[in-house]
Amino acid sequence: MEVITGLTLKNMLLAASYQLDQEKDFVNALNVFPVPDGDTGTNMSLTMEAALKEVEKSTEDDISQITSLLANGSLMGARGNSGVILSQFFRGFAAGLTKNKTTASGKDLARAFLESTKTTYRAVMKPVEGTMLTVGRLAADGAALAAEEGAGAGQVLKAALAAALEALENTPNILPVLKEAGVVDAGGQGLVCIFQGFVAGLEMDRRELESFFGKPVEKQVLKEAAAPPDETLENKYCTEFIILGANIDQEMIKSELESKGDSMIVVGDPNVIKVHLHTDVPGDVLQFCAGLGELTEIAIDNMLLQRQEYSRGQNGSHEHSHRLDFSDQPEPERELSLIVNPQAVKGVGLVAVVPGKGLAEIFSSLGVECIVPGGQTMNPSTEDLVKAINTVNAESVIILPNNKNVIFSAQQAKELVDKKVGVVPTRSVPQGISALLYFAPDQTLEDNLAAMDGGRKEVQTGEITFATRSTVAGDLQIEERDIIGLVEGKIAAVGSDPEEVAVNILENMVNEESSVISIYYGADEKEEAAQKLSERAKDKYPQCEVEMYSGGQPLYYYILSVE
Amino acid sequence: MAKIHVVTDSGNDLSREMQAEFGIHVVPLTVRFSEESFHDGVDISVEQFYHRLQNDPEIPSTSQPSPADFVRVYEEIAEPGDTILSVHLSSKMSGTYQSAVLAGTMVDSSIKVIVIDTGCASIGSGLVPIALAEALQKGASLDELTALAERISENLEVYFVVDTLEYLQKNGRIGMASALVGTLLSIKPVLTVKDGFVAPFEKVRGKSKALKRVRQLALNMKEKFPEKKFRAALSHADNLTEAEQLASFLKEKLPLEGEVLIAPIGPTIGVHTGPGTVAMFIYPVF
Repeated sequence: MEVITGLTLKNMLLAASYQLDQEKDFVNALNVFPVPDGDTGTNMSLTMEAALKEVEKSTEDDISQITSLLANGSLMGARGNSGVILSQFFRGFAAGLTKNKTTASGKDLARAFLESTKTTYRAVMKPVEGTMLTVGRLAADGAALAAEEGAGAGQVLKAALAAALEALENTPNILPVLKEAGVVDAGGQGLVCIFQGFVAGLEMDRRELESFFGKPVEKQVLKEAAAPPDETLENKYCTEFIILGANIDQEMIKSELESKGDSMIVVGDPNVIKVHLHTDVPGDVLQFCAGLGELTEIAIDNMLLQRQEYSRGQNGSHEHSHRLDFSDQPEPERELSLIVNPQAVKGVGLVAVVPGKGLAEIFSSLGVECIVPGGQTMNPSTEDLVKAINTVNAESVIILPNNKNVIFSAQQAKELVDKKVGVVPTRSVPQGISALLYFAPDQTLEDNLAAMDGGRKEVQTGEITFATRSTVAGDLQIEERDIIGLVEGKIAAVGSDPEEVAVNILENMVNEESSVISIYYGADEKEEAAQKLSERAKDKYPQCEVEMYSGGQPLYYYILSVE
Repeated sequence: MAKIHVVTDSGNDLSREMQAEFGIHVVPLTVRFSEESFHDGVDISVEQFYHRLQNDPEIPSTSQPSPADFVRVYEEIAEPGDTILSVHLSSKMSGTYQSAVLAGTMVDSSIKVIVIDTGCASIGSGLVPIALAEALQKGASLDELTALAERISENLEVYFVVDTLEYLQKNGRIGMASALVGTLLSIKPVLTVKDGFVAPFEKVRGKSKALKRVRQLALNMKEKFPEKKFRAALSHADNLTEAEQLASFLKEKLPLEGEVLIAPIGPTIGVHTGPGTVAMFIYPVF
């Protein structure tokens, strides 16, 4: 193909979105740390989805118009660090194609990718090689080389993909943490998915792409996690049925089933409800729901066996099939529910990204006007943060991202609003709380930023979660599902009991200067267990005040702070 | 020969020994536990007070001396032609200053009454009458004395730490610090007195961290006033241990003039700060 048209470009972007969506769990699994966050795949996929939504609005096949929508859509939809970099990639891409209306040649595309390299490198303060930056740069170089040799648009894209793949394979040789973890760079992998999509989009039109990926955008069907590398699987029974009854409370079913498994879908009207759940206790689920009405069309499949069949090549389908059709029920959209505490107009207002109900209450009580729920697994989009900033009734706004993967989006949001905005780069919830103590509403934005930045450094953060895969960290051998303790984001202890691991990492955190230990227990943790942990800490460190709060954060049994 | 007398109130936490040593007259405020009233330092001791404060479910209140109480004292100690320097705790925290001003207009016109607002409380406010009494013994003139009082009030730095904000809040003496109440985290703020009101200086988690911060603030005085000597006083509510630790820190680190005065916080102020409070007052000697 010598040149691409606007229509082809749209197909390329659609394919890129499909490819990312299909591979997102694989990309997520490339996390350097085996912790249940830093969802690079999810973040990039959601960013791409948001960008595509904008692109779909273009009525014409004008390339410059499509790319400008692409740039805007990805900018607003950017989630997590990888999402922000992706949005900058598209921004450069759009800048390179502003003069193209009907077609773009191989040279045009090569030029656009070189622009992407420039914008992505400029967007990060300290560019690190061996990441998606490198993959994008080498892909652009590959494209440029092909274009110089006179290749057409199609060949240029294929050259870019080949170079991207090669660069991706090489990332562990550049970045030692990748080699240690035995993975390639997740963001780089995401970018490769996009180039793969571009190439697929050259050959296939929308209908072909939809059937190839089996996931039409308008009619979303269930998306299943890619099979994990090993043969264990939690919640292995895919359980589906219909409840026939009268005035059945869907919310009540959801809250009951939530704890029994995952991938829950409960849809329908009060008289007919379709239920889908992956669970290890299908009997309990059926028993509970049978009490609400008549059950029909019951189907229970063992996904583990299905996967084993798949891996032995006896089953053509990668994903397990569903007996019931959920496709007419779109997945609930990720809804943003800001927690807004209206306050009188003031000079400086506060926005914080906080996981969990208890922590949200604590941040509210410390004067934060707008809480964006999220953090560890749900990285808010740039647009979510822009909305939050705009709800705050103040001339200038300070954002506390409270997560290393949100800082970048916060800085991007800053550029998109009329208000004066400052970001205190808090990397954890304890850092956010410590910074808040230095907030003085009667001071200027600049003075507050300086004071709060000092404040965030006065605390040490510990986190207790579980390992999402087996790995080795230093001299610690970690198995999947082990309980791990992190101090300042680095794995410091491993065990089988959250409280034991917490006691363990406190030893690393507490010194003779320490005076306060705070324990924020998670949504899945019992108050009694937290109470016992608190007593143990009090006994062990009599010089410290030990405080315990319900944080309600997901996935993290405990967040600890020592100051 | 016309004499100058120094009068103060019980909100300045001068011990009986200090009162006797410097010849300072103290007019007591009244502390009221539901139906029972006591004159601070007269019919209730500091020990009795804290015992009752911690065991009585009700938080007591205080009331200023009446103008008549002041008139009685003024006329008792002064001869016609004498001058009274009546030095009182912050007019923003208590009506005591106002009572004294009224008393000044009611007293026999042959007695001159000058009422001074220290803008402070506890032994910090008490440092003013002490300095005045000392200067008086050295023969300072009335103008020199009023200028001295003003200079001390202006340069006096106050930092204090309470165990709980509950007492300040219940008595409505919290001013700007009210923003700290209702936070779910237990915050031990370092408080100060600003424009005569209690104000938060810094929010800190944990009392030992707060006290550490107070020490740091004392050291900052040295940078702010290089080559000066300082006078320092501490007061505490049933917390002599922490006050003594802080005193030895100050003795070691700051060039001081005289001893670090340590005074228990009496009922008048203790009602508002609650047990456990430690307060530091320092001013540079000019």
